[in-house]
Amino acid sequence: MRDWESDPAEQESGKGGQKELDEQVLGAGLCTGCGACVGLCPYQTVYHDRTVVLHACDLAQGRCYAACPRTPTDLAALRSRLYNETVCTPELGAVKGFFITRATDEGVRRRAQHGGTVTALMALALREGLIDTAILAGEGEGILPRSITVRDPEAAGMQGSSRFVVSPTVAEFNRVCLGNAAKIGVVATPCQALALAKMRTQPVSAAENGIEKLHLVVGLFCGWALSWQKLAALLKKKTDLARVTGMDIPPSCYHTLEVYTTGETIRISLDEVDPCVRESCRTCGDMTAEFSDLSVGSARLPEGWETARSWNQVIVRTERGMDLLELARRLGVLEFRATPPGNLEKLKAASLGKKRTAAIWLAGRGNTAERTGQAG
Amino acid sequence: MSMDREQKEGAEVLLMGNESIARGALEAGVRVAAGYPGTPSSEIIETLSRFSEAGKLYVEWSTNEKVAMEVAAAASFAGLRSLCVMKQNGVNVASDFLLHLTGSGTRGGMILVSCDDPGALSSVNEGESRHFARLMEIPLLEPADFWEAKEMTRWAFDLSEAIRNVVMVRSVTRMSHASGNVVLGPLPAVTAKAQFLCDGPVSDPDRGPVTSAPVIQKHRLQQEKLRKAAALFEDSPFNTYEGPETPELLIITSSACTLYSREAISLLRAEGRAGILKLGTTWPLPPALLKRHLRRTEKVLIVEEVLPFLEDQVKILAAEQAREIGIKTFYGKNDGTLPMVGELNPDLVAAAVGQILGIDPPAIPAEYREKLRALTAALPKREQTFCPGCPHRASFWGIREALQRDHRGGFVCGDIGCYAMASLFPAAGFHTAKTLHAMGSGTGIASGFGKLGPFGMEQPVLAVCGDSTFYHAAIPALINAVHQNADITFIALDNSGTAMTGFQSHPGLDVNAMGEASPKVDIAALCGAMGVPVTIGDPFDLIGTRVTLNRLLEEPGVKVLILKQSCALSPEKKVKKRFLVRVDEALCRGEACGCNRLCTRIFRCPGLLWNRERKKAEIDEVICAGCGFCAGICPAGAIRSEEAAK
Repeated sequence: MRDWESDPAEQESGKGGQKELDEQVLGAGLCTGCGACVGLCPYQTVYHDRTVVLHACDLAQGRCYAACPRTPTDLAALRSRLYNETVCTPELGAVKGFFITRATDEGVRRRAQHGGTVTALMALALREGLIDTAILAGEGEGILPRSITVRDPEAAGMQGSSRFVVSPTVAEFNRVCLGNAAKIGVVATPCQALALAKMRTQPVSAAENGIEKLHLVVGLFCGWALSWQKLAALLKKKTDLARVTGMDIPPSCYHTLEVYTTGETIRISLDEVDPCVRESCRTCGDMTAEFSDLSVGSARLPEGWETARSWNQVIVRTERGMDLLELARRLGVLEFRATPPGNLEKLKAASLGKKRTAAIWLAGRGNTAERTGQAG
Repeated sequence: MSMDREQKEGAEVLLMGNESIARGALEAGVRVAAGYPGTPSSEIIETLSRFSEAGKLYVEWSTNEKVAMEVAAAASFAGLRSLCVMKQNGVNVASDFLLHLTGSGTRGGMILVSCDDPGALSSVNEGESRHFARLMEIPLLEPADFWEAKEMTRWAFDLSEAIRNVVMVRSVTRMSHASGNVVLGPLPAVTAKAQFLCDGPVSDPDRGPVTSAPVIQKHRLQQEKLRKAAALFEDSPFNTYEGPETPELLIITSSACTLYSREAISLLRAEGRAGILKLGTTWPLPPALLKRHLRRTEKVLIVEEVLPFLEDQVKILAAEQAREIGIKTFYGKNDGTLPMVGELNPDLVAAAVGQILGIDPPAIPAEYREKLRALTAALPKREQTFCPGCPHRASFWGIREALQRDHRGGFVCGDIGCYAMASLFPAAGFHTAKTLHAMGSGTGIASGFGKLGPFGMEQPVLAVCGDSTFYHAAIPALINAVHQNADITFIALDNSGTAMTGFQSHPGLDVNAMGEASPKVDIAALCGAMGVPVTIGDPFDLIGTRVTLNRLLEEPGVKVLILKQSCALSPEKKVKKRFLVRVDEALCRGEACGCNRLCTRIFRCPGLLWNRERKKAEIDEVICAGCGFCAGICPAGAIRSEEAAK
């Protein structure tokens, strides 16, 4: 398999500003919509789920380019600076522990996508003062999510279900940093977690960017996200967008996107959904948010999907992540169950599969592949 | 310097060319004057409006030039002397009516004054209205100085009545906007009662209906009138010759080029070798006069702006008279002796005359050249952009914000007004406006673009149009877009006046050219009556404008957005600032990543300055109009605006 992390020589030449960002990422269709380049300056903004350039910035170097998860990145260097290399795996990044958990509170589970682990952990971190501010993806208008900032643990519990469309979480982080929050926790997709990691390690200017306020990153497993515009167009053909209450993708054997509405559940074949996938996601090799403190995804259990859908699997990556999970165990916020044998190996295989697909996709894009080293 | 009612007959006063033309009309007893504002013509109607008086002189700013000509024609049909005034491309607008009017003929003396703009100093074209005189078969007069501008205009009314047809007087920017001494003549007591006599037979020019039919008979009659005019031109005092009896080179010229030609000959000290035949009656040319002068020379240089109109006519006459006058060598535009585009000036004419006569133009003295260099180096560099506090800057800022968010490559079809600068200087319109043609054409072009969806065009189409332009020519285009169900967003940039040309009234205002209260025609109501959704917004409401626009861009069909905010130079705004604006230096980020001077680099209101020493923005309190809009664009909130005390 090709080593597709950018080599260090490329790193130095990889510095750039908005012009390079626009050429290599935005204009190349590789933007993840994470929002890392938004809110630092007046030149980019997010509209719906798309990052747009408002005016030409003209600076040769910018934090926009430095923080973007799709500009060249020395992932190995990043990993060695942020993680204990002894626990790093080639497939999943740092793995200090692997668990099957769910929120003990049934109410949290009901509102959440799966086992409610993320919601429960964020509420716990707020309640215990590990963080004073949490940034989550919440419900926006129609099928559009919106980044929301909460300081009240109860409010954290009100958010939960996925729409498979990205929200500009890092832009929200940039915005919140300007305020009086001191300890910020972020629920992040893999690209958003990578952007935050790059911000922690690559200061480009003396200007304060508030990254030291970042105290917790809870990563989300992610296969891909959908383009809002394309998904909206698809769903409009099936239902009234205002009736959509949530979405999910059961295990791959179903090959279906389930759309929950105020009435019936609509099942759409993934073949039909596939054209709606963001181009950027096809080039992403990070399925498990490797640059987080701990990552959470849907569980796979021998009992089958109906049982598994109310559980999560969790990869703990840092000391801080482990402390939070253990606190949740001690206080009874999370329930744990035994990890089925082979689960971690299956996850590694799936993650490797995504890295492989992404590498092929990148190679197919020609020169672009050379320029956009991606999470490995 | 402006002419007023107190000045008496016999007084010698300094008048602008346009004022002199207005004075000529007054001295001729003009009763009705109508026009549409347009540089360099606007001061004629403005001057006349100061002399307006019920029952004595009616003056109006018409909806457009065609209507202005129709209004003036009605006065003529009713036996009054009338005048219509426009800039060069206004004649294009009026030309359909003009074609029929010149066929029907006139009664009271009627003058069409067209002020051309060679070099396009205040235009987006270099159109030549002189060709219309030939095309429409009416006499053409061109004044060459300020006194003549008055005298010629006065005489043009007599000529019009003598031949019973419209007479065209053509000025140029340098004639209309420069000033010279003029001796005022008497203002006649006018008493003629307006009455349209129309009960007679069609063949009766005094009492019959007025039409251009029967066409063949009327057309024949029109050409007889033209021959009569040519005969009168043979002895016209407006055609003069200065120079040797048999000049080595005969310069034939007219209008402001007469002054350039005189200066060129003086510069070359060629008074003994070259003569100037200055023509005031440039169409139809008086053949005998021309024959007399062409006979006495071998070489002929025709000096005129812009196209070779005179040159072509002189050559035709020379060909017709070749047997009697001999073969001449012609110099001018066609052979490249003089440029075929742009304004002329004494240097260009001197170079041409020098080339023909083999004289080197005198070198510019080194001392003079040095002085010139020092003076021009000291001039502050100013870019052409919107004024401080201009609502157009805010409108285009909002449009840019919405189009970039929309992300489908949407663009604006521009139109004629101050906001044309958005098309002419991309940075002024934040790179949104991409077409610019005639008045109202932005909307017509948008209507066409708006039907290209089925051909794969996915870009949203916007049209902008000022309030005066809306009434002038955008209404038919907008109706077309509505009827054809084109997908466009039409934005009326309503700044409550014909701002670019100096706040002339228009149908959207409650006052007319004479300062009388007038009913106003409401743009929103008019658009609403077309059955399309109309939103009214304030361009200074940045977020509101952007959100509204993004919503409208998603909707099919014609959507109308009226962005209403008075011009920063409007009389009510000039009085006081609405906001006191200042920069909080502690918050201003300066050049750090990253606003990178959004305020002075991108937004570029002239009221915002960048202090290079302190590396901070500041407000130029002298020119800041106090609109407060910039407070909303500073990402650091460093620009503060406070409501000014009442």
